[in-house]
Amino acid sequence: MLRYIAYRCVVALFLVWVVVTSVFLLLHLIPGDPAELLLSQGSIAADPAAVEALRERMGLNEPLWQQYLDHLGGVLTGDLGASFRDGAPVIEQIATRLPRTLEVIVAAALIATSIGVPLGTYAAIHANSFADNVISFFASAALSTPVFVVGTVVILIFAQQLRILPAGGFVPFSEDPLGHIQLLLLPAGTVALSLLAVITRMSRASVLEVLQRDYVRTARAKGIVRKRILRRHVVRNALIPVLTILGLEMGTLIGGTVLVEFVFNWPGLSGYLVAAVDARDYPEVVGIVMTISILFVFLNLVIDVINAALDPRISLVRR
Amino acid sequence: MNKAHRKLILPGVIVFFITALVFLAPILPLADVREMSIPSRFAGPSASHWLGQDEFGRDVLARLIWGGRASLFIAVGSALAAAVIGTALGLLGGFFRGVVEVLTVRASEVILCLPLLLLALLVVAILGAGTWPLIIALTILYTPNYARVVYSATLQVRSLDYVTAQTAMGAHPMQILARTVLPNIMPPLLVQMSLVIASALVIESGLSFLGLGVVPPTPSWGLMIRAARGAMEQQPLLLIWPSLALAGTIFTFNLLCDRLQSVLDPRGITGGGAFWLRKNQRKTVENERVAEPSTDALLLVEDLSIVLGREGRDTELVRGVSFKVMPGETRAIVGESGSGKTLSGLALNGLLPDVLSINGGRALFSTREGAQVDLTRLDEDAFRSLRGREVSMVFQDAAAALNPVLRIGEQVGEAIRAHKEIDDAALDERIISLLRQVGLPDPERRVRSYPHELSGGQRQRAMIAVAVANEPRLLIADEPTTALDPTIQAQILDLFKTLMADTSGMGLIFVTHDLAVVSEIADRVTVMYAGEVVEEGPVADVFERPRHPYTAALIASVPEGDADRLIAIPGTVPTPKDLPPGCRFAPRCAHAIDACTTHSPEAEHPSLDRRTRCIRWKDVT
Repeated sequence: MLRYIAYRCVVALFLVWVVVTSVFLLLHLIPGDPAELLLSQGSIAADPAAVEALRERMGLNEPLWQQYLDHLGGVLTGDLGASFRDGAPVIEQIATRLPRTLEVIVAAALIATSIGVPLGTYAAIHANSFADNVISFFASAALSTPVFVVGTVVILIFAQQLRILPAGGFVPFSEDPLGHIQLLLLPAGTVALSLLAVITRMSRASVLEVLQRDYVRTARAKGIVRKRILRRHVVRNALIPVLTILGLEMGTLIGGTVLVEFVFNWPGLSGYLVAAVDARDYPEVVGIVMTISILFVFLNLVIDVINAALDPRISLVRR
Repeated sequence: MNKAHRKLILPGVIVFFITALVFLAPILPLADVREMSIPSRFAGPSASHWLGQDEFGRDVLARLIWGGRASLFIAVGSALAAAVIGTALGLLGGFFRGVVEVLTVRASEVILCLPLLLLALLVVAILGAGTWPLIIALTILYTPNYARVVYSATLQVRSLDYVTAQTAMGAHPMQILARTVLPNIMPPLLVQMSLVIASALVIESGLSFLGLGVVPPTPSWGLMIRAARGAMEQQPLLLIWPSLALAGTIFTFNLLCDRLQSVLDPRGITGGGAFWLRKNQRKTVENERVAEPSTDALLLVEDLSIVLGREGRDTELVRGVSFKVMPGETRAIVGESGSGKTLSGLALNGLLPDVLSINGGRALFSTREGAQVDLTRLDEDAFRSLRGREVSMVFQDAAAALNPVLRIGEQVGEAIRAHKEIDDAALDERIISLLRQVGLPDPERRVRSYPHELSGGQRQRAMIAVAVANEPRLLIADEPTTALDPTIQAQILDLFKTLMADTSGMGLIFVTHDLAVVSEIADRVTVMYAGEVVEEGPVADVFERPRHPYTAALIASVPEGDADRLIAIPGTVPTPKDLPPGCRFAPRCAHAIDACTTHSPEAEHPSLDRRTRCIRWKDVT
């Protein structure tokens, strides 16, 4: 088990290196001078002197290998450069905003899993019944509704019609814990809805498959009570692929909460990314993309380790 | 046209309707999308403006249709462009493999490692907002999806015989790709297409909503929702219409994708679920106990029939099976695959698959307390208290029958705990002594092992330990040695013999297709053919003097030291759907006469303890 974790860590580190290198290459392979791109406004050409000054500041005049080493060294020491807009270190902004985005995602994942797994399991056991059809229909509908539509409609209902929750905004937890949670509810619930649909569908398919397995029949043959068969044998085994999907979805969400953060005025990382893209602030965009990719890789690592703990065969096969 | 095809009609018609609507937008009598009318801002639906007017007094219906035109143009356009590029990459990669594969398929898969929306944002950051940058961004995003699908489909088609033949005949690779591979991969491409369109709609509308997609004043659903958001207190309807249009269209494309998939791959439709796990199931059956013991047998099966499917349109898989098991006796049930021997065993433990059911006969079982229960009439809960404690099962494939993620000790332990209150220390002791009893080496260590850490023979021993954990009165073993090596087979058979010798009064039903195993272990044998019992009797007698041509043929086909050659039985077992009208073995029988093919033979008794289902038993044996 320990060897397996060590092995996965090495793979993850390798992937991080690939991401860091790709981002560097992307920056230098895009046609056009980044400095010029940054300074030009629409069709107005940039002042050559200003471009040259910026090139110097961005280190673009150094040889490529020197730039690559600086880039690698920067990532290792947590120095992702300074924002082009206000000159503040990018890493500081990321450090304040990332936890807020993660908070929404984790809350959404908790809501979605705690409802989705039982719902999907119920649908699988009652496959092709009326209840199953209703659950499947709502799951498809939730999957088909873009998250910003859900968010906007949710604001219309809860904030404007019922007036029971605030429409959006942010208060740090340390200042106003209750207000913080109230503000978190709608964005987390919105993200949870589509996640819930994915988890419900996946759990249903997974449980249906496990129910066909011989070991479930063995468990019945032992005379164990239903609840235990369901928990120890069916759900336990069915959870493994569901968790993998959950991990992948959460990884996607780290960069994909853009719309939710925009709708609810939640000052997270993704909203920062949109602003950076809008302003063409290269150091910011690169820093955020890199952070998200690295998180993505490590999230997959965590999921792999959890899977290995749930399924002892995994660590044997891929050792 | 089957059910899966019919289900395509609904989403197909809606997609056609939406497409026609946006395609015909220029010639439909719609209001001008840019014509403002400030006095009638936020007006509700009216005769001239069916869906009302927006924050500038513009006609909502017209903007909705034109907005759909913009959204679908981008989604379909990029889906098509990605399809062309991705298909080309996938075909090249799949056909040439090697370096070409790395350069095409593998290279494009790098894109899949990042969140879609993030990538779209990156592209927009470089190219700026607008319709065409969006199409380029989405095309890049979805190319790897197609490349993957086409790549794997190409690999499959490539190895087909007729493609190999064309290559051998010297056809140009491009010709082969165009003529044979492309038509074969059309169906998976269609599925991918509807999926990509739905996904592209989500991303396009999201970017437009953020103000990074379609540029105003061009209407688009994302932009309409963005605008309605600011005004939803005055006119919530403005939010509802584009939201419905967007979600509805995406839903339709997703539905189309799902249903296309089930047309292409009917195996995907798994039935059933699990009736036994549902609460309040099968209320109709009463747990009746037969009033007085009518037999001294441990198990008396009479006329047991098992059918597949619903009443009326069912297929009989097992018909009129009767046998009995005395305490301490080993009964073998022997037959070829499809003879119904395994189903009969499962039925006696209430473990038939949901699609099968018992539709006749009874199976009287004497419990430890001396009462008799009819196993064919028990519901799940009543069966649960019998399983493991009174009737137990050993399955054929121990690798599949043991739960891969639980330790051996726990799997044995839960069988004990299911029927007995026992503290942890006593339980551990009992588990280890059981594992020792079934001959598992080093049981103290083995309790902590997972099934995959044991050998095939050890797994079967663990499986047997589970089955005998509660000292059942009746043990049903379903081909327990079939999946094992011959030397291990002999060891497991010895284990069964030892168990029978050590446990007084336990009955054993041993289901097998192997006559050598039967002669080794059983006291009495039941021979089954095509769902019926054809012969029954003491093992020695039956082997010495078979009273049914099928049994005789089976014995003749067993390889023996001094036999010159093997005599195979001509023909195959009939399927339950087209059974011969008379004797089921008649078509393969060398002794069949006319009477055999017209009437189904009844059971006859050549001697007191023998039974055969052959009208010519006197002549043929």
